[in-house]
Amino acid sequence: MDIQLKRGLLDVCVLAAIKDKDSYGYQIIKDMKPYVEISESTLYPILRRLESAELLTVRPVEHNGRLRKYYHITESGLERIKIFEAEWKEIMSIYKFVVREGKGND
Amino acid sequence: MTKQQFVLAVCERLGDLPQSVIDGSLDYYCEMIDDRMEEGATEEEAVAAMGTPEDIASQILMETPLPKLVKVKKESSRGLRRWEMVLLVIGSPLWIILLLAAAMIFISVYAVLWSAIVVLYSADLCLAAGAVSGFSAFVLLLMSGWIAQGFLMLAAGLVCAGSAILLFFAFNKITRGAVKLSRWIVLWLKSLFVGKGDKK
Repeated sequence: MDIQLKRGLLDVCVLAAIKDKDSYGYQIIKDMKPYVEISESTLYPILRRLESAELLTVRPVEHNGRLRKYYHITESGLERIKIFEAEWKEIMSIYKFVVREGKGND
Repeated sequence: MTKQQFVLAVCERLGDLPQSVIDGSLDYYCEMIDDRMEEGATEEEAVAAMGTPEDIASQILMETPLPKLVKVKKESSRGLRRWEMVLLVIGSPLWIILLLAAAMIFISVYAVLWSAIVVLYSADLCLAAGAVSGFSAFVLLLMSGWIAQGFLMLAAGLVCAGSAILLFFAFNKITRGAVKLSRWIVLWLKSLFVGKGDKK
């Protein structure tokens, strides 16, 4: 897949993983696993990027005597998901057009 | 590899990056290792799941903007002595030109690389155009009764079409190689600013 496209998709996937409930790194990876495999080293730059874009905030929570970082989606983060949904409708209609053309030529 | 060895290995490769960047990434990976161990993985397995320290360090480096690296390099170097400043000013007509030349060479290499790719695709487009012309000529010549010449054009068109399709895939591979090469150049450029700062 085109690397830029995948990058944009993964950003939204991570936001979607914390949309309903704050979550931490390993949980995000596990939640995404049935849909898209993502490694620890791939997730880290995404979280950093989303944080600096203020699409999510981070807060440390004590867990078993150590600190675990929980990620919380911001208003802009929710807005980003909405934009994605709107964009995706357009992409899906392009996809349908492409597939339809393909079938027509058979 | 234990967690501690892993942390040390990553640290070593990040050299002079800002402490906040190093701490942030190490906190993250330690948390991941701890979480995996809590789920029953052994320390060895949890560390192995993170990937190699080399890959992690180069990924952090790739994600850190170049201006930040340059700033760290500048801050970590000691202040200039007076004679060094004088030398810098006196030598400026020379080193500024050399620096500019180096930058220009770098940009030219980049431009040449991508121009070459544009040329390759243009050649491919010409072949495709040749194929279309060959087929059109075939139809026109047949209609005018020039059968032999028509088939010659058809053959030429087919050769063009075949080469255009085959070369397109080859050029795609070359483009992917060029993207990798330019990523490698950026990484190398960034690595110049990291890791050699305080070794005297």
